[in-house]
Formats: sequence, structure tokens, C-alpha cells
Amino acid sequence: MSIPAPSAAAGATTPAAASWAISMRDLTVRYGNGVTALKNVSLDIAAGEMVSVVGLSGSGKSSLIRTINGLVPVTSGSLTVGNRDLATTRGRDLRALRGGIGMIFQSFNLAGRASVLDNVLVGRLAHTPTWRTLLGLHRPAEKQLAFEALESVGILGKCWDRASSLSGGQQQRVAIARALTQQPQLMLADEPVASLDPPTAHAVMNDLRRINRTLGITVITNVHLMDLARTYTTRMIGLRAGEVVYDGPAASATDADFEAIYGRSIAPEDVLGE
Amino acid sequence: MTTAAPSPGPAGTSAPATALTLIIPPRPRGRWKPWVAVAVVLVITLITFSPQWGIAFSFEAIARNWQNGAGKIALLLVPDWSFFPRTIPPLIETLQMAVIATAMGAIISLPLSLWAARLTNPHPVLRGVVRTVLNIVRAVPELLYAAILVAMVGVGALPGIIALVLFNVGIIVKLVSEAIESNDAGPLEAARAAGGTGAQVNRAAALPDVWPAFANQSLYVLELNVRASTVLGLVGAGGLGLLIDAVRTFYRYDQLSLIILEILVVVVVIDVISSTIRKRLV
Repeated sequence: MSIPAPSAAAGATTPAAASWAISMRDLTVRYGNGVTALKNVSLDIAAGEMVSVVGLSGSGKSSLIRTINGLVPVTSGSLTVGNRDLATTRGRDLRALRGGIGMIFQSFNLAGRASVLDNVLVGRLAHTPTWRTLLGLHRPAEKQLAFEALESVGILGKCWDRASSLSGGQQQRVAIARALTQQPQLMLADEPVASLDPPTAHAVMNDLRRINRTLGITVITNVHLMDLARTYTTRMIGLRAGEVVYDGPAASATDADFEAIYGRSIAPEDVLGE
Repeated sequence: MTTAAPSPGPAGTSAPATALTLIIPPRPRGRWKPWVAVAVVLVITLITFSPQWGIAFSFEAIARNWQNGAGKIALLLVPDWSFFPRTIPPLIETLQMAVIATAMGAIISLPLSLWAARLTNPHPVLRGVVRTVLNIVRAVPELLYAAILVAMVGVGALPGIIALVLFNVGIIVKLVSEAIESNDAGPLEAARAAGGTGAQVNRAAALPDVWPAFANQSLYVLELNVRASTVLGLVGAGGLGLLIDAVRTFYRYDQLSLIILEILVVVVVIDVISSTIRKRLV
């Protein structure tokens, strides 16, 4: 585009200023309908870790991820993300916190009729005055960040296309670029590859691992497939009925460990394959 | 339903029905409910026709009185083409009123639509206020708006335009906010997760998927406006209606029929244009 601003050089490819740690003490999340999603969960995740959260659907994986960025409120207990207590953080402070947390979703969650670039620029909302967003006036530096993020996931060439015209794998890359444009200190992924075919799923998991390794950002991802957890993450947390039933290294987690987490014997569909 | 076709079970084709014991689930109860609904509608319809409780619909009255209107219909069939030049300025005024009112109504409706939909306005009280006000706006007929506004701002196109804007806002907000409810919540969640304010989330994530419904309903309202602005003139609110009122007072049904023909042509043309645009919007 236009002249790249000097600050834009510190784009998506430089390491995060400070990666965030997470600490949970007796964290309980109960929904309005009475369902208890998380029961007394206590966990410490260090800055820069690559963590997978494993469990059957309904085990509380999604609630765990969504509580970390305040999409789901804390019922009781404490949750600290980057020195901020989620139970008391609200309004402007909560938005600032969310601005530091990138998030990737199973269904990509792109505005289908908007361009790829406009979708990626959603990642800058926390750093943009509301009037600029309302008028659609993006600063050149913000656009530069978006272009760099798209380049880093290899789809800069699609930046003017309509998001809905892209394939599933490409859409998830746009979603990753959107999260990277936030220049996050923490990356959350809620079943990021559950809607993708095996080769694309591996590519997306590789992107996440690369973000963790080269940028040093803490990454927490939900997966329900054993081999993805083992291959791409270093630490695995197993959830069953809202409680932590496994917490240890991912690579050495045995089939028996998975059977204990799932509460049933291993089935062929628990593995993605190549 | 009850698998009349040979079931591809383990028995295969060699062993027919004797080897298979089909466990057919029991029929769901409550299949009579749609018939009761139809019966209720029928009974209500018959009651509304009856002289005691309803509108006293009577074929006899039609047979007795139809000749009173027959002469007027005969006149309507022979349009007075020489009247054409005099209809042009009011026709243009009608079109101007329709276009201006559509544009203004659409601009006002866009934020109101977002505020009236649950997806884009999670605040229940604010949403309730917007919806209630719009229900009231929609309950008042545009002719009544026009009559009051003519008294307030004087005869002419201006009261007509204001009446149409109110009429348009009621329709657009209702239809567009309903369309928003059926949109995907995912993009909004993503924008909220990125730290956007409510307004930012709506602008960046919701609005792109609102445009088609919004453009669609605005075009629909443009059609309505051409029709409605012909009626508004009856109370002095500008456009062709003023002329209709004038020729009707002098029983010039031949001139009236020319005006009706012109309205028909304009409505058809606008319909063709807007449906072409709508096809491109999908």
C-alpha cells in the first residue's frame, strides 16, 4: 500500500514484547442454565508454553479457553492472565486485555462478505479509536501490520478477496493472521483444525507451533485428536466433566492416559493421521 | 417411513421378510394438531363474515349496487391522453419524494436496525426501548402522519417526505433487524475476543453481513414509496395525489385512469430496476 510507517517494521515477525503466563486457583465456571463447565480447576501455565487441552465434547475445554479472555465470566475462584485478575476486570481494561490475546475458532468466524484485509484488521480493534473503526479509516501502520501477518501465513495474495470465497484452510489462515495482527502476548485456539482436512489441519497446527517457537507467544489450543496433541504441543491438560484429570508432557502421553481422559477405549477417529 | 423397500441388513437378499423382525417405532402422538389449527382458522373466518359478529359480508348488496360504479369503470377504460403534459410535474414530484424519503429513511434505519436486533445489541432494556418506539411508529398509518404534518408544516412535498420517512423507518428496521437475528454470531464473537467495543464489533464484524438485507429492504421501500406518495397527496402532502384529488372531485375518471396508468408504468419500471440490483446483491 502506501508508505510503511517506521513503527510498522516491528510487525508480526518480531518476538512478542512479553509473553503472558496464566494462573488459575479453584476456578469454577457455571452457566445460567445451571451447567457447571469447570470445577475447581487449578493450573499454572508459564509464559511461552505450548499447551493442548484435551477432552471429549462437553468436558469444559471450550469454557476453559473462553474464560481466559473473558468471553465466559468466572463464577468463583481466581484467574490471572498477564497480571490481571479476570474476575474483576471489566470494560476498558477487559478490552485492553483481550487486545493482547489472539483467538482462533473452529468455524474461523470471519465476516464472509468483508475482504480478507478488513477481517484481518479486526485484530486491531483494541488499538483503534471507535470513530476510526466506524468510518472505516485504518492507519497505514495498522494496514502494514495486517499485510505482514497475511504474508507470514502465506496468503497475502488474497488480501482483496471476499473472505467467504476462500477455502476452509485459507480462511483459518486469515483467522490466524487476524490474531497475529493483534501482536498478542497469548494465543488461544478453540478446536482450530476440527473443520479441516488432514493436510490442512497439519499445516495450521504447524503455523501455531511456529508462532509459539519463533515469536515466543504462549499458545493454548483445544484438540480432540491424540496425535495432534502429541506432535505439536509440549504440555497436555486433560479435562473430563470440568475437572483436570491429566497434566503432563504431551509427547509421552500414552494411549492409557487418553483412555483415562476420555473415559472410554481409544477409537480410530481419535487420531487424525497424515 | 416404515421401510417398505427390502432392508439391506445382514440377511441380504437371500432371506426375505421372515428373517427380519422390524422394530417400527410407535407413531408420534399429536398428529391431529394441524387439523385442529385449520378448523379454528376456518371457524374464525366464517364468524367474521356473519352479520351478527362480523363484517356482514353480503353478495346481495354487491348485486344491488354494482351498477353505481359501472359508469365510472367505463370512463376509466378511456384515458384522456391530452391530459398527459399536466401530469408530468406532479409525477416527477412523486418520484423525488419517493427517492428522498427512501434515502433519508435508509440512513436513519441502519443504526436503529442494529440496535433493535439481539445479535448486535445485547442490552435488553435499550433494545426494548428501540423496538417499542418503532412499534408505535409503525402502528400509525402514513396517511395520518401526512395529515398531521400538513397541518404543522403546510401543504406541499415536505410533509409527504417526512411522513414517508417515518413509514420507511418502521418497515426497514423491522425487516432488517429480523434478518440480522439470523446472521452468524461467530464474526462478532471474534471481534469481541479481539477487544472491540460494542460499536466497533457491530461496524467491523456485523455490518458487512447486514448490507444485503439492508439494500434489499431499502429497494423494496422505494417501490412502496412511489405507491404511497400518490395517496399522500389526497391530504395535501404533494405529488400525484394532489392531482388525483383534483380530477376526482370533478368526476374526470378519464384523466384519473391516465394517472393510474402512469403510476403503473413507474412502479413496473422501478420493480424491474430493483429486482435487477437485488440479483447482483446475492
